[in-house]
Amino acid sequence: MKVFAFHLMPYAYLDMSYTQKHRAAWVVLPNTYFDPKKGHELYNRYLDELELVAELGYDGISVNEHHQNAYGLMPSPVVMAAALSRRTKNAKIAILGNAFCLREHPLTLAEEHAMIDCITGGRLISGMVRGIGAEYYSMGVNPAISHARFQEAHDLVVQAWTKPGPFAFEGKFYHFEYVNVWPRPYQQPHPPIWAPSTGSTETIEWAAHPSRRYVYLQAYSPITSVARYLNYYRECAQKMYGYTASSDQIGWSTPVYVAETDQKAREEAKPHIECLFNKLLRLPFEMIFPPGYLSMKSLKNMRSHKRSVSGQEHTVDTLIEQGIMLCGSPDTVRKQLTDTHRMLGFQNLLCLLQFATLPRDLTEKNIRLFAREVLPAVQALTDKEYAGMTVRAAE
Amino acid sequence: MRDSVIDLRGCKLHLQRAGQGEPLLFLHGAQGLSGSEPGLEALALDFDVITPDHPGFGRSEVSDIVDDVADLALFYLDLIEALDLKKVHLVGQCIGGWVALEMAIRNTARIKSLVLVGSAGLRIKGAPRADMFVCAEDDLMKLLFANGGGMAWLKSWRATPELEDIYDRNRAAAAKYSWSPRLCNPKLEHWLHRIDVPTHIVWGAQDRVIPPAYAAALKDKIKGASVATLADCAHLPHIEQPQAFAAAVTQFIRSAAR
Repeated sequence: MKVFAFHLMPYAYLDMSYTQKHRAAWVVLPNTYFDPKKGHELYNRYLDELELVAELGYDGISVNEHHQNAYGLMPSPVVMAAALSRRTKNAKIAILGNAFCLREHPLTLAEEHAMIDCITGGRLISGMVRGIGAEYYSMGVNPAISHARFQEAHDLVVQAWTKPGPFAFEGKFYHFEYVNVWPRPYQQPHPPIWAPSTGSTETIEWAAHPSRRYVYLQAYSPITSVARYLNYYRECAQKMYGYTASSDQIGWSTPVYVAETDQKAREEAKPHIECLFNKLLRLPFEMIFPPGYLSMKSLKNMRSHKRSVSGQEHTVDTLIEQGIMLCGSPDTVRKQLTDTHRMLGFQNLLCLLQFATLPRDLTEKNIRLFAREVLPAVQALTDKEYAGMTVRAAE
Repeated sequence: MRDSVIDLRGCKLHLQRAGQGEPLLFLHGAQGLSGSEPGLEALALDFDVITPDHPGFGRSEVSDIVDDVADLALFYLDLIEALDLKKVHLVGQCIGGWVALEMAIRNTARIKSLVLVGSAGLRIKGAPRADMFVCAEDDLMKLLFANGGGMAWLKSWRATPELEDIYDRNRAAAAKYSWSPRLCNPKLEHWLHRIDVPTHIVWGAQDRVIPPAYAAALKDKIKGASVATLADCAHLPHIEQPQAFAAAVTQFIRSAAR
């Protein structure tokens, strides 16, 4: 299994009493809550943490994109990937993801990804996402056309990376007379493309298509939902497209915290992971899912499942019980990962090792302890240990 | 009330028709039509009221070619021809008012009069509008209704699974047509001088989605337009003040647009 450390780069100094005045840490939270001097400290600290990860034998490091919020300070993950590209030597740099379709000019991102791929000698993984619903408020892009625009932006970028230029691109949303991206990506035909999602059926079906076979990465969900969506990917490949998906196409992303004992892990993680879910992920339904963002079918599914992640007050105990996070001693977490892998067979794991207000010392302890006690065993897991779709029946 | 489906430019358009008299085409707003709009029933006492669901709304199909309000305007000019309406009174609310404006600047040959009700379409700098999309459901109800009728109205959408689906569908379709620039065409104001039919502007005094300042701006830009402000009324006059709404429309048409 390939194990990545994922960072959100949260604004850890947020005055959490904001909840008395504002309904979300997104879109409407005034940016006067952000202190640039604190921001300077945080960005550099977070980059240090990812650089440490890269030295400790993790397969890769990962950043992502969110706009106008306190939850994640990377409106441009490309900037972070660029900063990391010269400070790391072997780790993959995974941008999971970039919302190409939020841009009026997806080609700028195609160019930037190609630059990073060339600088790093092919260590880039390009995640393509629609962006969560809140970005459609923040960036003014129409959520009702986001699926179609996402697919077209993808087609444009893949063509820009693979097809000899110059050529004209005539889409519904994008129109270019000269597509001729310099530089071309280092990896041929193009960097690996991943599709991170919180469980949109359309995205799963799109990613699993035989012409793509992109890694589907399930983020932030109770383990029963993770199982449902990862199994749906395999099912799609089998029943809809007639091929057997490789476990290399399956990924899971989850917050992870390890400490010396289960008890200690719970106590240390508690205020910070609760802050992540209750304060930074404070996001009303209308903001996560603006009208038209989900198909009618997905909207119905989401109404029943998603409220369990952001619609309720979480405690560290509910998060652990529902399998939204992994938390415990190295033995406990290793066993949980091994057991879950046996059921779901994901060959890619993204661990969120810093979350919300988790301070520098505990973050570093988490990164090191996981690297020493959990990482080797998990990296050794292969498809041989995958038992199949048994969770479905147990649900 | 007569239901029908008309195939127009490859889109199966659902429309209802009620009453007798001169034809009146009602173009609905962001909230769409639930089928129980008392203001429209009142209008049907005097007019042949035609109420289509815009493509993607209600029981109408999504159209492959109708993507924005400019498309909707041409689509409905086609509908007027397809139904062979010679002289039609055009009444548009919210997004529907915007569509009516875009139709009227293009071609009024078959339009006899224009009524704009809490109409979208313009953007006035410095006149803030509340955002119907971002707010929570109970806040939205307070926004749409001046007198606390919102929750009962919302409940009426939960009466059947079909209506419940239509409510979600309507929100998605409204976003498609009006997300950005939000509820307006910034260039529209430059062409309103082209409107050459009697025009009446009907507005809820408590409308915060499109505040009454927009009524004044429309009056200012459309030749000979008049304004009626409805008391105790927000963004949905045809639902919240059905009698006053119908009276305003009917009196205007009888006097100015005979």
